[in-house]
Amino acid sequence: MSAWRRDAELPFQKLAEETIVVDPRRREVHLLNETAARIWELLASPQSLDELTATLGDEYDVGESELREAVAECVAGLEGKGLLVAAGTR
Amino acid sequence: MTAPARSLPLSLAVAEAAPRCQDELVVGAETNYALMSQVQGLAFDRTVPLNVSLELTLNCNIRCLHCYNLDRDLPQGACHDRSGAPDTRPDLSLDEIMRVLEELRDAGCLFLTLSGGEVLTYPHLYAVLDRARELNFAVQLLTNGTMLQPGVAGRLASYRNLLGVSVSLYGATADVHDGITQMPGSWKRTWDGAERLRAAGIAVRLKFIVMRPNAHQVEEMRAQAEARRFAYLVDVTITPRHDGTRGSLETRVREDQLAALYRGPLRDLLPTGKLPVTEERFPCNCARGNCAINVKGDVHPCVSVPWAAGNVREQRFADIWQTSPVFQRIRGLRIADYEACAPCPDKPYCSRNRGASFNYSGSYTGTDPFVCRSAALTREAVTAGAPDAPRD
Repeated sequence: MSAWRRDAELPFQKLAEETIVVDPRRREVHLLNETAARIWELLASPQSLDELTATLGDEYDVGESELREAVAECVAGLEGKGLLVAAGTR
Repeated sequence: MTAPARSLPLSLAVAEAAPRCQDELVVGAETNYALMSQVQGLAFDRTVPLNVSLELTLNCNIRCLHCYNLDRDLPQGACHDRSGAPDTRPDLSLDEIMRVLEELRDAGCLFLTLSGGEVLTYPHLYAVLDRARELNFAVQLLTNGTMLQPGVAGRLASYRNLLGVSVSLYGATADVHDGITQMPGSWKRTWDGAERLRAAGIAVRLKFIVMRPNAHQVEEMRAQAEARRFAYLVDVTITPRHDGTRGSLETRVREDQLAALYRGPLRDLLPTGKLPVTEERFPCNCARGNCAINVKGDVHPCVSVPWAAGNVREQRFADIWQTSPVFQRIRGLRIADYEACAPCPDKPYCSRNRGASFNYSGSYTGTDPFVCRSAALTREAVTAGAPDAPRD
């Protein structure tokens, strides 16, 4: 299964519940909400969708299929903005 | 206990707001202005030191007449505090700077501005940049551009966390610019440096400091930047120096020059109307989202206000940020505490430049007559030709 990690060289900082991520090359700034920020935090190390869903399932009171869909959407969003790198398969 | 369900999509909501000061205008993030305003507003509201300026050296290879640090025509090595007394404390060592970087990261800093003096004269710049990259800071450099020889720009471009570089420029012609820097050839070297940065893929913003010797060239300076497609900022405020000397004020634009600039070449950069004057909007970002650390380790509310809140040699940065009486005082100020400003009718047109006011008056809530006149001239320029207010 595919895995991702966050781009380790991108500047970011937690700002209370949110996280700001800056992409100097694209001249873009992103403000991640609390949950996206948690996913960003987990992606410090390579994570598959299954792993992310399992971890967040312990933290959020959401059904597994709904959570998995939301996690996939968030990861796709982060990847689409160039903030993640592929980390092989797990 | 589990947390309630929360939405997962990225939050990219935007909010329009004018920046509280130039420190919020991050080089390279101009296209994200609305989101940057929102981010800066969050830092302000939550008192997070999102923007920190770190002065790495006072050494400089040029001798600008208007330098805010110190009188560059005094003998080398003469460093004084605001009272004029010699400041013999050593500069922060590289080890101390490395520790401070970690403390800044932990305290919430994201936008780290490295400055001087001339930052490229600092012998350990790349060690600092390496550590800043490891700590995921978004870095900006302030430079005069003259030391950006071939190879330097390429090396800087290897730092993917480098947001951009601000390059100071003081004239549209070599004779004017070089007369201010007191370094023949500096105008060409600065332009060459800016071009090299851009060719290397680095965001560049020119910073025009408008003063008496170059006021007649403002239109041309702007035209040159626009023709070469460089972003730029314009600043007309020269302050007394941080070493207590006031020779820099001789370079300030005269009132008649400023009035002409506001009616002409700078008219389009003035506010289009009254700025909000509320208890929420009157404070700048000093000690709320911004601060600065000078080469001796003193922590200041911002780079322009050398009012020491503490020293990172003696205290952890977070302790200074959270408990310093200086910062607490600034955060507690109300409009009424600015005695000259409170009744002034020109507040809606005033930048209330804290650096100029502090360095001129010695008080954070004091004033600088230049700033007051600038506000009045702004009002006159903004309201000129505007229809009269309806009368009863």
